Amino acid sequence: MEIIEYLLLYITPYIAVIVLIGGTIYQVYRWSQRKPVPAHLSLFPRPQSRLGRLGDALLDMFTLRGLFRVNTLLWIGAFAMHIGLLLLILGHIRVVTDFYFLWDWIGWGEEELHTFSLVAGVSAGVLFLVPLFYLLPRRFGGSVKFLSTPEDYFILILLIAIAVTGMHMRSVLDVDQHAMRKFMQGLYIFRWEELPESAGISFIWHFALVQLLMIYFPFGKLMHTIGSIFNKMVMRS
Amino acid sequence: MLTRFIDTFRGRISRPLEYYGDICVRCGACADACHFYAASKDPAHIPAQRMMLVKKALQGGESGKGKFLDWYREYQGADPAFAAQLEKAMWDCTGCRRCAVFCPFDLDTGLLVGTGRYAMLQEEIGPEMIAEIGDAEVSKGEIIDFVKEFFVEQTRELEARLQEEFHPDLEIPVEKEGADALYVPLVGEHAIIPAAKIFHAAGQSWTLSLFTATNHSYFVGDSAKAKDAANWIVQEARRLGVKAIVYPECGHASRTLFNYFEGWFGDELEGIERLNIVPLTYQYLSEGKIKVKPGMFDTRLTYHDSCSLGRSSGMYEEPRELIHAVATNYQEMTPNRELNWCCGGGGGLIAAAEDKFQIRMQGGLPKVDQIRETGAKWVVTACENCKTQLEDLNEHYKLGIEIKGVIDLIADALIV
Repeated sequence: MEIIEYLLLYITPYIAVIVLIGGTIYQVYRWSQRKPVPAHLSLFPRPQSRLGRLGDALLDMFTLRGLFRVNTLLWIGAFAMHIGLLLLILGHIRVVTDFYFLWDWIGWGEEELHTFSLVAGVSAGVLFLVPLFYLLPRRFGGSVKFLSTPEDYFILILLIAIAVTGMHMRSVLDVDQHAMRKFMQGLYIFRWEELPESAGISFIWHFALVQLLMIYFPFGKLMHTIGSIFNKMVMRS
Repeated sequence: MLTRFIDTFRGRISRPLEYYGDICVRCGACADACHFYAASKDPAHIPAQRMMLVKKALQGGESGKGKFLDWYREYQGADPAFAAQLEKAMWDCTGCRRCAVFCPFDLDTGLLVGTGRYAMLQEEIGPEMIAEIGDAEVSKGEIIDFVKEFFVEQTRELEARLQEEFHPDLEIPVEKEGADALYVPLVGEHAIIPAAKIFHAAGQSWTLSLFTATNHSYFVGDSAKAKDAANWIVQEARRLGVKAIVYPECGHASRTLFNYFEGWFGDELEGIERLNIVPLTYQYLSEGKIKVKPGMFDTRLTYHDSCSLGRSSGMYEEPRELIHAVATNYQEMTPNRELNWCCGGGGGLIAAAEDKFQIRMQGGLPKVDQIRETGAKWVVTACENCKTQLEDLNEHYKLGIEIKGVIDLIADALIV
């Protein structure tokens, strides 16, 4: 057990980062090796100017307004989940550093900050987790059932597991944030620190599952993160 | 099984197709978009499933056997049942791209089906009739000198008839050097008559092409032949020194003109504008070059957005403006414009004749409901394929409607 814990804490994180970045670059390179279609595949209406089209594609990407128009229920689920995810990623910046200037500017001390991060973290977690419990059962019926492959269930269950372990640490355990930050910073500068006791068993699971997600990212449908913006430009060419 | 399909498809994967299989999240939004799936509830008709079937076929590998993590990728091997599903996925599609509008990433099933059809034909699966008509369009250019005489003779007869019926000065010039516009018709005089009247009324200097705008090679994803067929028209335009190529009320041909010609011919098109007769007619009307009797028609009518002209070429408002100029009782379909239901006859299915009649009638059901809801007596549209399909739907489902072209209405309401 100890050896596995050691690997997951100090070795595999580096592999995960390398696979995530290297794999993503490789996939985009693989796509780029194919010839583009020598035609305009535009869907109309579309803006006239090039800048307008880029703006339109980005707006569409960040708001999914096309989906909103044709399938509002799915839009609510997908949009809330993605916004929750975005907020969680923003919050996780505090794992390695902190927005010191921001807290100074607002004038928050240790205690206010603690309360804020609890409220904000749990809210973002709920925003992320609840839609997943709509998106998963959705796959068991109707036309989506035909389409669903093991990958779809795998990703959804993985995301739920990551969210649940994360929520557990955030809301149930009292994790020593300073010690945690020291541990993570240690990973970045190759000066490995002990994992604080307060992190509990949830952290190992949370950390390991996130690494699994990072390793899987380039090889499956999660690449829609990168591919969608390319395609949105192609379809406005 | 399917080895030629797999090899051909692999060799023709374009950049978008390379990532389609990777980035589709199978959210199922496209299922609500497809008229074939709406009518048949056959999973092979779900747009994302069409892509998944191709992906599964390609994952088979050279030996035809799956390799790594077969259960995870749901690879079953290419048996006849799989081939039958793939055939449905590739051929029961009109390339209307309604699903691309529904897709949160705008993935284009039309593009997939184009490449897939070409690969299917290498396997001899699917209606070969479409490809044969495409071949005829390519070889027409080689025998044009033999058929020209007959064509000119027919045109003279038509001209004489229109001079009697419409205006004694009306002309239908053929091979007229230095004309401003080259009008490319369709097979049959119905595409020439209203255009000739409108050109006459507008005082447009024009000449009639010896070729037809239709391009069936495009339907089967054979871009080399599609380019060859279109090349005859471009060369004719250059030979006669025209300033514009004008395409008739034909959806897919206009789509090639607007969206493919640039990539196919590049600099050869310099100095040649590419136009469709409908926006051109609207231009005449708004510039006052032609005059029409306002309120000429009081029959309840509706406009059907052709997929190629609407979603794929952006022609939404011009036909509506033209209809409003001459008709008083207009009823919009719901949904319309980029969300309009496809008529179910595009993508070359009409040319496949009996093979695809059943599925065309089935796929046309959402359109039939839409038309019934408007209570219209006339359905106006600007695409030959849609017109033929709507005629068939009218007969099959006893809708009791009449199908009209946009420029037919204008030609009938002209003041000369």
